[in-house]
Amino acid sequence: MADEQKLIDHLFRHQHGRMVSILTRIFGLQHLEIIEDAVQDTFIKAIAAWRSGPPENPEAWLTLAAKNRTIDLFRKLKSDKERNELFERGTTSLALNEMFLDHEIADSQLRMIYTACHPLLDPRDQIAFALKTVAGFSQKEIASALLLKDETIKKRLTRARLAIKEKSISFEIPLGDQLKERTNRVLEVIYLLFNEGFHSAKKDMIVRKELCGEAMRLSKMMIDNPITCNPDVQALFALMCFHSARLDSKINDANEIIDLRLQDRSLWYFPLIVMGNDMMYKAVESEQFSAYHYEAAIACEHLKARTFDQTDWGSILAWYEQLQIIAPSPFNLLNMAVVELQLGEYEAAKRRLDTIDIESLGQRVYLYHGCVAQYHHKTGAREAAIREYDQAIKLVVNESEEQYLIKKRSQAMESPNMN
Amino acid sequence: MKEYMLIFLGADYITKGLSPEEMQGRMGKWFAWNQKMTEAGIHRGGHALQSEVRHVSGPDRTVTDRAGSEIKELVGGYYVIAAENMDAAMKVAEDYPDYDLGGTVEIREIMVFEQ
Repeated sequence: MADEQKLIDHLFRHQHGRMVSILTRIFGLQHLEIIEDAVQDTFIKAIAAWRSGPPENPEAWLTLAAKNRTIDLFRKLKSDKERNELFERGTTSLALNEMFLDHEIADSQLRMIYTACHPLLDPRDQIAFALKTVAGFSQKEIASALLLKDETIKKRLTRARLAIKEKSISFEIPLGDQLKERTNRVLEVIYLLFNEGFHSAKKDMIVRKELCGEAMRLSKMMIDNPITCNPDVQALFALMCFHSARLDSKINDANEIIDLRLQDRSLWYFPLIVMGNDMMYKAVESEQFSAYHYEAAIACEHLKARTFDQTDWGSILAWYEQLQIIAPSPFNLLNMAVVELQLGEYEAAKRRLDTIDIESLGQRVYLYHGCVAQYHHKTGAREAAIREYDQAIKLVVNESEEQYLIKKRSQAMESPNMN
Repeated sequence: MKEYMLIFLGADYITKGLSPEEMQGRMGKWFAWNQKMTEAGIHRGGHALQSEVRHVSGPDRTVTDRAGSEIKELVGGYYVIAAENMDAAMKVAEDYPDYDLGGTVEIREIMVFEQ
């Protein structure tokens, strides 16, 4: 009985993204605000109409409501000067019906993602705008997802909308060279979204899962479309599957991040690993590998190990070497040093650490100190280890990571050498 | 058993800026309440109302369009339930989902005429 009355999770949110995209395609980006309000109206109507239980096919109901709302809007606009504009575009009722076919809905949503990632929009605004229009997050929800103030998000959304109007950005997926470039940016934004969910602290599990889920849903949409699908998207999707499979074991009940070494591997979600693997096979049919390919390969190596001690650190190091060639980053160097410590190559790790420009690590510089501390700890230099742990603890922002470092520090105090 | 009408006034989904996700959550609460009443066998009926309001009043049948009326005065819908007495009906009304959005439930006993 209870099951019958339950709606699919996130139905409204996803439906919001779909409807806003279709209506934008019909009416144009300049009407975005009216469109968002109109979509909001259909949900209010649904709440009233469904009080005693949802209709048999809630999705179809909502789509129909949106369609009718479109026609309403269209009638209202008819009295405006925009009428002519719309007629020129040939928005007949036939064309309108076609817009609501599944593949056209998906196409409209892809247009929205590509619009959100337009180079004329401020990169900071892109992610907020995408969350609002594509993912159906409210201003408040975006603020709590990105750990920013409501007011900041409001500004970003307004600025994005204004830029779209002023710069006459068109609602489409670009062609030719521009397609590749824009796709790269879309992937960056999707990965940022994912990392907000996966890595950022102070978020509860629900928010984490929502952000990771959205990122995966958007990339899956790109994969399902022949124009936007490419090996990089496939690799990114695989990478996100691999990471997501570990999400439940990465965070404990107190919302603290658990070190990979201590994670309960039985909590890893196998179906996601399988899905990632399948997609990875497709991704590697390409001759050229992207950073996502290598990151996925690294994530996969971790998943392959049944216990932490069985991790194939040698392979992981090799993947990092490749990654560092195509996408050099001080964080890669830091991770390689961590791997070398695992391999017992302490001096190699130290040499690696010495090449890092710690200024470039920004807020995450505490990771560097944590790693140097570990080096000293492993090589028996207890005092140096404690000094570096102190430095790391001083610089860390995230509370659960701080707890972790404090634990490590006390371990260093107790024994000169952990191994 | 007597019958009572629960009249829902106000509850503002619009200016509170509820997200689609929150609205879906809201909907779940309505389902749950409805289901609870149905299982208890006390749900007799009800409707949700559109927001367009027109008042006809006075000997001249003066028509006023109340589109801009205060949301908190608007009747959004009603349920008819069976209950032992006013207190029991009040107990049922406690589960109304929209108090936090400024909603009010007016409880009125339905008048029964002797035949």
